[in-house]
Amino acid sequence: MPSEPRIPTEPTLEELSAYLDHELDDDARARVAEHVAGCADCQARLDGLRQTAYAIRALPMETPTRTFTIPAKPRESLRWAPVAGWIGGVAAAMLIIVFGVTHVPFSPAGTSSAAPASKTSGRLAYGPPQLSQGGAAAPTTHSDNIPADSSRAFAAKNTVTVTDPRNNARRLSLMTNAPTYATDGWMVVDGTMSGDPSSNVGQIHLVLRRGSYGVELPISSETFTNTDSIGFEGTYSIAALRLPAPVSGSYTLTATWTATDGSGVTLFAELPVTIK
Amino acid sequence: MDDRDLVGRARRGDPEAFTQLMMQYQVPLYNMALRMVGGPDDAADIAQEAFTRAWQKIRTLRDAPFKSWLFQIAANLCYDHFRRGRRYGEMPDEESNKVIGLGILTPDPQERAEASERNRLVRESIEALDHDMRLAIILRDVNGMAYDEIAGVLGVPLGTVKSRIARARAQVQEHLQRYPDFFPSTREDAHAE
Ligand SMILES: [Zn+2]
Repeated sequence: MPSEPRIPTEPTLEELSAYLDHELDDDARARVAEHVAGCADCQARLDGLRQTAYAIRALPMETPTRTFTIPAKPRESLRWAPVAGWIGGVAAAMLIIVFGVTHVPFSPAGTSSAAPASKTSGRLAYGPPQLSQGGAAAPTTHSDNIPADSSRAFAAKNTVTVTDPRNNARRLSLMTNAPTYATDGWMVVDGTMSGDPSSNVGQIHLVLRRGSYGVELPISSETFTNTDSIGFEGTYSIAALRLPAPVSGSYTLTATWTATDGSGVTLFAELPVTIK
Repeated sequence: MDDRDLVGRARRGDPEAFTQLMMQYQVPLYNMALRMVGGPDDAADIAQEAFTRAWQKIRTLRDAPFKSWLFQIAANLCYDHFRRGRRYGEMPDEESNKVIGLGILTPDPQERAEASERNRLVRESIEALDHDMRLAIILRDVNGMAYDEIAGVLGVPLGTVKSRIARARAQVQEHLQRYPDFFPSTREDAHAE
């Protein structure tokens, strides 16, 4: 049956698809919207495209099967070259927040207690570490979740919490049970992801790196899950990690957590770790 | 764009800055390659090669956004892969102390089990697309890029992006509709429920 004359022209496949993606200009968008509102066939076409797009978007983001590396210097032969002194000037943990591929405007959430947000300029912020126990708004009671025999004194030095400046509730905390390990020691890493209901431990990438090389550390377990946070933990034998010779040196333990809300915002928490 | 600071440092040869860029893009880049070529090892090879080339050529990057440029390198490697069945990025492990970086693969068994039939069908339907359409829809629906960003990666006009994405979706939909349970709510007889 032909369309009623008052309904605007039948939209093309391309228009319906671009309409889904908010990629039509205002006139075209209005025309498609008006047509679809009055045409059950096109409503069904649009639904089909939408469900198809959602089905593709539902594919899991998979973890790379290895950690990527680069040669020590551009255009030079591959050579292991630790970046001497990179950690040297850093007294304690360094905070780095990397915003990912987002065009979402900055929209502060309710609280504004997080120091890092105020230091943010552009997309990359450096600032002092924010200790878990100092974060007034932090819902985490992270240190309660680690074994009692872990050194609290060390933990205080080797803990960092980064906060998503768009959403102060979203935080990533990272800690190790010591700042320094023997080459035959064991490192225990604990972390907490807070303030994101869609979070799961699979979203965390943990890498121990030195210079531009690193090993990915698999997370062995979830330590707890509650309404607004998830804890994770891993225990690693230093000797069993494939670290470069000589193993002794200054490393950086990095945890990245990319939001799954489509914003692409990545929280990036780093801790210095020394092996000797 | 907003990687400017890191890109600036990387252009001056700072591997830490480039490593941060890698950390930021490794998952999306790897997943783009994975959905393009299908195999995890090939995808990791392509991602590794893309990072290596980007690092080696970063001084040639001027005003273009790093992300588009990086994805363009990887996209070209995917096309090379299809053309020549070529593999990249063998780890230079002649001397074990040159490079570390073999990650420990941690496939979550539960997730694998849940990588339901549904996802298998979606992957199958994407793999049935021609390479141009496949890349466009991956950049859109896997990587969440805007059309102008995709146009930058592909080096084609916006209209081409729009058309490839639309045709890709239509073909994927058609493919998936062969499985009666895939879109229950869009089936006409579903209104009877
Ligand atoms: Zn219609």
